[in-house]
Amino acid sequence: MMFRRLILVSVLFAAVPAGAQWFKLPTPGIPRTADGRPNLTAPTPRGPDGKPILSGIWQMNGKYLQDIAADMKPGEVPYQPATEKLFNSRRNGAGGKNDPAARCIPGMPKLDALPYPFKILEAPGEVIMLFEGFTTFRQIFTDGRELPKDPNPAWFGYSVGKWEGDDFVVNTIGINETTWLDNAGRPHSDALHLIERFRRHDFGHMDIELTIDDPKAYTKPWTVKEDLRLIPDTELLEYVCNENNKDYEHLVSQ
Amino acid sequence: MALAALLTSAVSAQWLTNKTPNVPRTPDGKPNLTAPAPKMADGKPDLTGIWNPNPRFLVNLAVDLKPADVSMLPWAEAVYKERAAGLRAHEEPDANCLPQGVPKIDAAPVPWKIIQLPGQFVILYEAFTQFRQIFMDGRKLPVDPNPTWLGYSIGHWDGDALVVESNGFNGKAWIDQSGHPSTEQLRVTEKFRRKDFGHMEIEITINDPGAYTKPWTAIESPTLLVDTELLEFVCSENEQDIKHMVTKK
Repeated sequence: MMFRRLILVSVLFAAVPAGAQWFKLPTPGIPRTADGRPNLTAPTPRGPDGKPILSGIWQMNGKYLQDIAADMKPGEVPYQPATEKLFNSRRNGAGGKNDPAARCIPGMPKLDALPYPFKILEAPGEVIMLFEGFTTFRQIFTDGRELPKDPNPAWFGYSVGKWEGDDFVVNTIGINETTWLDNAGRPHSDALHLIERFRRHDFGHMDIELTIDDPKAYTKPWTVKEDLRLIPDTELLEYVCNENNKDYEHLVSQ
Repeated sequence: MALAALLTSAVSAQWLTNKTPNVPRTPDGKPNLTAPAPKMADGKPDLTGIWNPNPRFLVNLAVDLKPADVSMLPWAEAVYKERAAGLRAHEEPDANCLPQGVPKIDAAPVPWKIIQLPGQFVILYEAFTQFRQIFMDGRKLPVDPNPTWLGYSIGHWDGDALVVESNGFNGKAWIDQSGHPSTEQLRVTEKFRRKDFGHMEIEITINDPGAYTKPWTAIESPTLLVDTELLEFVCSENEQDIKHMVTKK
């Protein structure tokens, strides 16, 4: 059951004809091998300021959507007792209907881990993430502003970013407590502070080191590393969850 | 509906007191919205900013036109009359939290933000927290596009006007709340002209031979919003309207 949504979503994706969306347009600026293929192990591109360029269309390793702790050993996630109890009540699809995403509401941090690509664009004063999933976006402000003090609870929260060496570090707060960390149902509280470290290793590979700092739900901060690959020579498609969402009525709730 | 959703958002915490940089101001610190329109380094107009639509055009894109200017095919006229009379309100896509489509999303009563980047522009819409990409890299419109709500958009400069052409629509969107229909043959041309620092015109041409006997053009007039940010807008969160809406059949 817990994989049901991914499966349905994959079917949806597969049903989109792939003939017409500028798929044949080569992405400019991509290093290529002699036969014209993208060389995804070429060095990380850098801007005039020497910082890595993150712009491009990226796709996350799909396993983290299902299980954000996929690479952790049993017992390593430092649940508070009530958090573990809530998580257990949602496991194996037992609470699928309670996942906001089942009602076509995306949220952080699952948005980053959707099985659809997203595009990073670096603009003056902010970094934009355009998500094929839900055709939605995040704004990460890089103009030096502080995080809001008493943010209105939001599904995506409020994000500011800065460079630390080669890492683009994004701090996010103000995420309402109803979003899930993964499809398995790991909870968080309204005290969640997310720290994402975007690190582009080479032309085609990036990590997001994601720290969950949520003292109300976990006994200490914990960190996972999610891996992404660059998707060249393509574009984002349109994804409209509300258009034909057939899952919800089949999902169960506690 | 959308307006009600906006009004229920608390406005105390979204960086609303952050000053927008590079805004000309009068001596008392107020933005001077009649200062000249800014330019990019390459001399092209800089449309960057948060723009607030005039909601008259959300209700009826043809509000400033004469009836004869919008010449509908008989089927389209029949549909339009029922929609305009409120008999199909439950079918309006955004009543069902489906995208408003182009050009209606330009008139959505909530703001949107233009960002100009090399090779593409982006419009971030507070409405439904959605976006459009406008490719400026010289590519052509797709020849046989997969039908979508927001279409495929390319742009070029014509003097001081950004001309955005879009195709690939699914024919399900309403052009406005009155219910001017569209079909998959819809082509939309939007000419964005920043007249001065705080005022924009969008000349919107609806070219849809599936619904209209000739193209028709309306001019919208968004105004710049400074010292603010887009809020989050999640239609599916608490949609309470549709059960109160009328169904004809």
